[in-house]
Amino acid sequence: MHREIRDHIEDVLRGGDTLKPAREHLAQCDECRTEVQGMQEQTELIRELRAPQDFAPDLRPNFYARVMERIEAEGPISIWNLFIESAFGRRIAVASLALALLIGIYVVTSERSAEDAATVALQSPQLSTEQTIVAGEDAPAREITRVDESQTDESSQDAVLANLVTYREQ
Amino acid sequence: MDALTITLPFPAAGEGTRARTRVDHKTSEEAALVRRVQARDEMAFREVVERYQSKVFSIIFGILRNRNDAEDIAQQVFAKVYFSIKNFDFRSSLLTWIYKITVNECYDYLRKKRVRKLVYESDFSQEDAQRMEASEPAVDASVPADTRLAQRDLILKLLSKVSEEERSLILLKEVEGHSVEELAGMTGLNENTIKVKLFRTRQKLLRAAGRLTRTR
Repeated sequence: MHREIRDHIEDVLRGGDTLKPAREHLAQCDECRTEVQGMQEQTELIRELRAPQDFAPDLRPNFYARVMERIEAEGPISIWNLFIESAFGRRIAVASLALALLIGIYVVTSERSAEDAATVALQSPQLSTEQTIVAGEDAPAREITRVDESQTDESSQDAVLANLVTYREQ
Repeated sequence: MDALTITLPFPAAGEGTRARTRVDHKTSEEAALVRRVQARDEMAFREVVERYQSKVFSIIFGILRNRNDAEDIAQQVFAKVYFSIKNFDFRSSLLTWIYKITVNECYDYLRKKRVRKLVYESDFSQEDAQRMEASEPAVDASVPADTRLAQRDLILKLLSKVSEEERSLILLKEVEGHSVEELAGMTGLNENTIKVKLFRTRQKLLRAAGRLTRTR
């Protein structure tokens, strides 16, 4: 588009009184005339986006209250929203919980089996030294001692301690 | 032709409207209201909502012609205003800022619904059609409604090809009917800048229309 038109394009598109040089240029320049025509058509289309003059918003009462409800529902953005709102975040949270549960189950069951083994060892003084050591090999010496205090008499405690000492020396 | 528009200065220096008015958006009554909202004064926010709710609603309806979702989008606009007002820098008027948010929300809505046509069957009830026909006496009645809808679809598509700023500016000019001088006051830009931006936007729209026509 030539400068004679470009400099006054808003006036030209408004369709009012345009300057004489612009009018004269448009009369003789096909290129500018075509482009101005295209812009005028588009301007008309854009004006179609105007709400009708008699348009009444018809907002339901308490619009402000509903806006505030939405604001409260959305709340400020925090790092926790990432986990709660996004599907990926939720999956990570679920996977973490499942992993924590599995670890918990493993810890509890392994402690129980150790305790059971120790109890078996303490309640069976007739077992050979080797059997006692094999059954109680996962349990620490202190743990065995604690169980021993509550469930057996002094003589069986001595027997277990003797077994352990023998094991260590071997 | 494009090369000419890029290399030549724009517009002519002798024009009398150059940077005539600068509105100070930091000291107006509106600025005081905005500062109260920034300080999380709920009464001030309520005032903003009540002052602009009708305007926002009519902007949305003008673009989408869909009353069903207009209120929902209007709520979203004010929620955005509430959360983003701390970033409002007083360079433009509050209305200009809200207008931009509103237009963006409309485009988000269109994008989310993957709307290829502006109004498609499920959203455009018979009642809407009748209301639209009855409420636009200025529109050429000889143009069928579906042609007008197709034209609206086209212009919305074209407007999606320009930046948010350019889109808001041309809509404020042509839809809201503001003059270049008023736009300068509203945006804090000088009039020449407004003219350059409008002209470039119009050229982009023409080019986009040309590309669209070629691909059809």
